[in-house]
This record gives sequence, C-alpha cells and structure tokens, in this order.
Amino acid sequence: MIKLSINNLGVSYGTLEVLKGVSFDSVSSQWVMLIGPNGAGKSTIVNAIARGVDYTGDIYLDDRDIKTFKSNEYAQRVGVLEQNHYVSYDFTVREVVGLGRYAYSKGVISGKDDGEDHIESALEKTDMKAMEKKSVLALSGGELQRVFLAQLLAQDPDIMILDEPTNHLDLLYQRDIFAILSEWLKEKDHMIISVVHDLNLARKYGTHAVLLNNGIIESYGEIQDVVTRDNLKKVYSMDVYDWQRQLLEQWRN
Amino acid sequence: MKNIKKLLLVFLAVLMMAVPAVACNGNNHSGKVSVTDMLGRTITLDEPATRIVALTAADCEILYALGCGEAVVGRGAYCDYPAEVMDVPAVESGYETNIEQIIALKPQLVAMATMAQTEEQVQQLEAAGIQVVISNAQDIEGVYTAITMFGDLMGKQKEAKKLVDSMKNTFKKVGKGGEGKTIYFEVSPLQWGLWTAGEGTFMDEVATMMGLTNIFHDVQGWAEVSEEQVIQKNPDYILTITMYYGEGPMPEEEIMSRAGWGNITAVKNKAILDLPNNELSRPGPRLADGATMLHDFITK
Amino acid sequence: MSIRDLRTNDRFVVFDYVVLALIMFLVFVACIAIGSVNISFTDTIKAIWHAITQIAVPEELEFVYSIIVSVRLPRVICVALSGAALSICGGAMQGLLKNPLADGSTLGVSSGAALGAVIAIAIGLYIPNSPVTATMLMAMLFAFLSMLFILSLSYKMDYSLSTNTIILIGVIFSMFASSILALITSFASHKLREITFWTMGSLSGSSYYNALILFVALAICGSVIIMHSSELNAFAIGEDNARHIGVNIKKTRLTIMIMVSILIGVCVSIGGSIGFVGLVTPHIIRMIVGPNHKKLLPASLFGGAIFLMLADLIARTIISPLELRLGIVTSFVGAIVFVIIFYRTRKAK
Repeated sequence: MIKLSINNLGVSYGTLEVLKGVSFDSVSSQWVMLIGPNGAGKSTIVNAIARGVDYTGDIYLDDRDIKTFKSNEYAQRVGVLEQNHYVSYDFTVREVVGLGRYAYSKGVISGKDDGEDHIESALEKTDMKAMEKKSVLALSGGELQRVFLAQLLAQDPDIMILDEPTNHLDLLYQRDIFAILSEWLKEKDHMIISVVHDLNLARKYGTHAVLLNNGIIESYGEIQDVVTRDNLKKVYSMDVYDWQRQLLEQWRN
Repeated sequence: MKNIKKLLLVFLAVLMMAVPAVACNGNNHSGKVSVTDMLGRTITLDEPATRIVALTAADCEILYALGCGEAVVGRGAYCDYPAEVMDVPAVESGYETNIEQIIALKPQLVAMATMAQTEEQVQQLEAAGIQVVISNAQDIEGVYTAITMFGDLMGKQKEAKKLVDSMKNTFKKVGKGGEGKTIYFEVSPLQWGLWTAGEGTFMDEVATMMGLTNIFHDVQGWAEVSEEQVIQKNPDYILTITMYYGEGPMPEEEIMSRAGWGNITAVKNKAILDLPNNELSRPGPRLADGATMLHDFITK
Repeated sequence: MSIRDLRTNDRFVVFDYVVLALIMFLVFVACIAIGSVNISFTDTIKAIWHAITQIAVPEELEFVYSIIVSVRLPRVICVALSGAALSICGGAMQGLLKNPLADGSTLGVSSGAALGAVIAIAIGLYIPNSPVTATMLMAMLFAFLSMLFILSLSYKMDYSLSTNTIILIGVIFSMFASSILALITSFASHKLREITFWTMGSLSGSSYYNALILFVALAICGSVIIMHSSELNAFAIGEDNARHIGVNIKKTRLTIMIMVSILIGVCVSIGGSIGFVGLVTPHIIRMIVGPNHKKLLPASLFGGAIFLMLADLIARTIISPLELRLGIVTSFVGAIVFVIIFYRTRKAK
C-alpha cells in the first residue's frame, strides 16, 4: 500500500501566492484528478510533487518527507509525464525510452540493469516497437507523447504524475493513452495523480478529484462527490453541467 | 581575432616607432625655416620650433640626441628613451591618438610616423594651427634624413650633421666581420610563436651591412616562422630582443634550453645576444649602438 | 540516403572505434612526416626509433632527430590532445545545454579563461614549484566563473535556455571579457609585450611536458565527462525530463561545468584560444554516430584530435617557411559550420 500525503502545501512566485494551504491524501489504486479553471494552481501541485518547485508545507511519501529522497531513489517511486516535449537532437525512440531506466543503473559506469524487459514491454504497450529505431525528431506530437509515456512505463514508478498528458492530441491518441494508463493503474499497487482540463475525461477515468480555485482546494473526495453541478458552478463561474449536456445533445442523431 | 591583431599592431608600434618632437633653444640659425618632410610635404615655421610633441619613440630619441629634450613638451605613450623622457607628459598615439590632448600641450609642431596616424588626424591638428611633420624612416638612410630634418626644424643643423656623421662613422667601423656567417633574429619567445625580423627591418639591414646573412632574409618584415626552419637553417648567431620579465630563465638561457635546438651552431657555441632595449628595432640614433654591440659580439 | 540513415545505432561499437583510431593514427603519422622542413619518411622512422629505444643518435641523424623528436612530435601530440579535449568539452556543453551551438568559444568561456590568465600575468602571480602555473590556475578559475555567470544569467532571462538567448549572452560576455582584457593591458604597460604574445598563444614550441599536463587533465576530466554520458543524454532531451527520470541535475551540471572549465583552462593556457573546434567536431560526429553521448563523446575525442591535427598541418605548411595561426584555420572552418548549423536549426523550427 502506498500513500502520498500533502500537508498545508503553499507555493509562491515572488509575491504571487499560487497555492495556499493545500492538503489531501491519496493511496494505491486511486486516480486523482486535479481540476479547476486556468490559473487555479493545478500544474503547480504537480510541479511540487515532482520536486521541480520550492514549496512550504510538507509532502510525504509513505510517511517519509520527499525532500529526503535521493534523485534516483525518488524516480523509482514517482514518475512524471509532461504536456509538451521539445527535442533538439535526433535520439532514437529506443534511446529515449531506455533513459527511463536511468534511476536503476548501478555504479559509475551506467551499464546494463535488468531493464531490457521493461523497455521492451513499454515499447509494446505503447505500440512503439515498430518505430524504435526512428528518430524522435521525425515523430508527430501524438507519437512523441507515446514515446515519453513508454519512457515513464519503463521507469516503472509507483506513482505517475501527469500534467495534461493528452492536451493538443488527436482523439485517437487521447483514447489510447488513457487506456494504457488505466491498464497500468490496475496492474499492481499503483497511483495516478493528473491534471486534466477536460472534465469528461476526468469523470470517466478519475476515482478521486481535487477541485481547485485560486490556489485553494474547493472540494476534495471521490470523483462523483466533487464534480457536482453546484461545485463546478461556483468555481467555473458558469453552469458547466448544463453546458456539457448541451454539447452532447448535438450527437443525438 | 581582431583584438589579437590589434594588440599585435600595438606591439609592433612599440617596437618600430616612437616619434617624439622637440623644440630647441640656442638655435644655430634663427629666422624662417622651411623643410620638406618624409612624405614630401612642406612645413614652414617662422622660427625654429621651441615646443614639439613627438609621438614615436624613435623621433623622441632623435630629438634628445640633438640636445633639444627641453623642447619636447609631449611624448607618445610608448616613448621610453632616454630616461628623462618619462618625465614629459604622455599622450596617446597610434590608433588612440588623442588630438585634444596634443592641442592642450600647445606645441608648434607634432612629429608622427605615417603608419600610425590617419589623414584626418593630421588635418585636425593643422586646423588647430599646429604643424605636422611626418618621419618615415624605412632604412638607415631614412634615419639620417629624419635626423637632418629635425635638425632643420629645431635649428640644430650642426648637431644633426654631427650625429649623422658619427653614425656613419660607426657603421663604417662595424660594417664588416660577419662574412659567411648566418644569424637568426628572434622577436618573441617560442611559447608565443616565433616571430622574426625579415627583409626590410633594421636588424636585417644592419646584419647585411656586416656581411651576415639573415636566415629569414627571404621573409618580408615581421613574421611568424616555423621552429623547424630555424633548426634546419642552423644559424651561427642568434640575436633576441626579448625582455626579461623577472621570472623564469633569462632569454639566452631559455633559448639554449629549448628541446631540439642543441645542434644549432649558435646554441652549441652559446653565441646568443640579447638586446632587449630596442637598440636595433627603432629607427633612431641608437641603431649605431646596437650595430656596435652586434659587431663586438660576432668579432669577440 | 543521408549520413543519418547509414548510422546503425546499436552497431557503432568496437569496429567503429578501431576505424576511428586507425584514421587518427594515419593522420598522426602524416602530421609527423609532413612539415615545414622536408624529411624523408625513413629518416623520420629512424629518428622515432632512436627516441623510443633511447639508443644514441648517430651524428648524421642528429638534425632529423631535433626536428622530428624535439619539435614536431611534441607539437603534434599537444595539438591532438587539445583537439580531443576541446571537442569533448564542446560535446558535453552541447548536451548539457541542449544547444548545438554551445562551445567554449561561442559561450565566452575561452575569453573568460584568457582574461584570467592575463590577470595572472599582469599582477605577476607566480606559484613556485608547482606543475600547474598561476596562469593555468587563473584560466581554469575564470573559465568556471564565466560559465557560472553566463548560465545563471541565461536561466534568469529565459528558463528554456533557448538557442539564441544563451549564444547572445555568450557573445556579449566575450566582448566584455575582451574589453576588460584590453583595459588591463593598458594599465599593465610594463607587461604589454608578454600579455600581447600570450593572447596570441600558440601550440608551437609545445613540449612533452605540456603534452603530459594535457594528457593528465584529459584522462581525468574526460573520463568523468564520459562517465556522465547517460546524464548528458537526459539533459540533451530536456532538463525537466532529466529530473523526472532521476538525474541529480544540480550535481551533474556542477560536475560537468568544473570538468569543462579545467580542460578549457588548461588548453587555453597552453595553446591560447583555439576557436570553434569544440563546435565543429561534435556536430560532424553527431551526424555520423548520432546524439547518444555514450558514442558521441568518445568518438569526439578521436574526431577532435583528427580535426585539429589536420588544421595544424595546414597552418604549419601552407605558407612555409612562415606559419599561420592555428586559430585562423579553425575559425575559418568553424565559422562556416556555425552558419550551417544555425541555418539548419532555424529551418527545422
């Protein structure tokens, strides 16, 4: 059983307070959706858990402060998938995916670990096996995102942190990636925390949700208790429920 | 790269020119003076000059040698001989020539070298009522011309003639003794790349006069040459003008300690002369001293 | 079929290193055999044989021995080692900063090193009885400080370290360092000649002792850099991604910066600033072996040695008996390659 506890988390950029007093816990098998309007502080929570930003308060992984983990030790537990990737050099797909095993490489001369299986299976799960020799510079946005997802799978963490993983992607890739992620969540003791803009996706895949507004938690709990008509109205300054129904109405015929 | 080139030029400027100007008291002749300078320009003064700014080290030396050091009211930054010249206010010379500085010294005359100054600078000075005289000695004959010219300008014709005659005498005395021997001139030490003096330099001219053969006579002016060539050409003498910086071996010792130089005749015979004070690199009266030192060295 | 397609990623292994080593050896032999003074190949071999066996040199061979063993050989070795060192530095910086235009000369690190050395000369800094001279130490220190300054400023202005920002800052810093250098030169007029020639520093007159220092520095720093190949791969893909997969980015960045500073400091203090080697070599090598630093860095060692030896051969022989500055040759080639890389990266966007 893994447990991630966030206690009284606060983040400021200069004088701008983007997160204040954020606290929530999550455990294995949960897929926590961070939702809220633009500028609510969703990505900042992700950055804090990824140790990419200075914060106040505490984040504990299995009752251990995440600041006390060594870089590679932490990467074995927590992996991150970002929204955009800008690649400058023509590494092959396999080289990028292989880097997912970095945290497990032993000794100074980073040689082989037992990770070949992980790389192979990650390439297969993401359907990138056929392209493994291809240069990442030659890939489409959707293919590139799958490469980094494969890297994350090869990294084999307990917790995945995702920042709008399918934003800008074609629907096919969106569906595929979410399918891969839900498979992964079921595999064993796993947890996913993700920022998702699309509330439909959030409801479909999330087990739990954190609804943020102006850096403060508006509501936290199981997904159906958080993503409610009243809650969303308050945060999004509009009747989201009504709007979504209107949108879907178009597909009736 | 550009910077390096500039620094090199500054350095070569130090080596080859220092043009001071002098105004003299106790003139041989007073009254109107008219002189053609070394660019063929005519300079007319009502009286021999009493206030002169000399921008190159060689002209400074000439003026002091003519006994009109007191007339030198300003000097180029690189003028360093004789020692008294250091007490004279320095002005920027070469690329950085500062016209305002010069005008502030109120000279009647400014002496400069062609290679360092631009047309515009000359025009600016003339517009301020200051006469400009250009010295442009490329060989020993040119140095005599420069001395005579300054003698006229400063009213020191007698002294100028005496100086030229004495130099001529010296060169006559030392103008042999090196027949059949070869010499290598070193301008910079090995670690910085070997720069030597080829044809068209005073060192080459003095050596040729003595019957010596400059091993890089086929090279024009100052140039960086290959170390291998020096070893192959195997000079009988080495003349270095490197200064000692107060650290490490003396220039002669450094040359003798070089790997692969042990078989060079000059090194075997310890026939290395260090002339670190620009005796043979400045178109001034001390060329005669330098020639004497070289002559004594090869005939001792 | 482009060069890129010829690259068989997994197979660039022992065989390729053998080929590279062979090319390097042939170039090395050519550089020993050809020079400003013509010496027959048999005499060259004989001289080297005497040097190796330490058998007394016969009189008729003394001249050849002086040229080959005392002058040409140490110079070519120093040139090869400098080329290798500067190239591995370039490769490492290009990975670390995810920027194919990064190099000691484009980032202003070499200028910084030169400034440090000149300060040491101007104030007459002198360390008695040390294999590392004061100029060398100051060159290393200032290389490091320059890099620290350039990187911090770039991060502050543009976190993504975009190609243009960092190169622009590097160029501006270079000019700044050069102006300070000129300023020091004017104040230290009694050292003018020494400083002038130092800034024009050259590898002519290199000794076996210089070669030893270069070799030791390259063996230590080069190994450390190569041991960080995986980390550099991660940085080359993206610094955030590197952090996510478990790279200790602060430690890696600091380590690479220190190693690069030491190598550039040593190279600059022995051979002066030799521009663009670190830019050109890794770029060409990357086209052949790909961007993976596990292959790129070792291959750049060979490539850099080959490139600089050939450039030096041109510098030594093209206008014999005169010599061209090595930096002139490398800058000529480098500037052209720089424009090509810049054009290609801009076009790719």
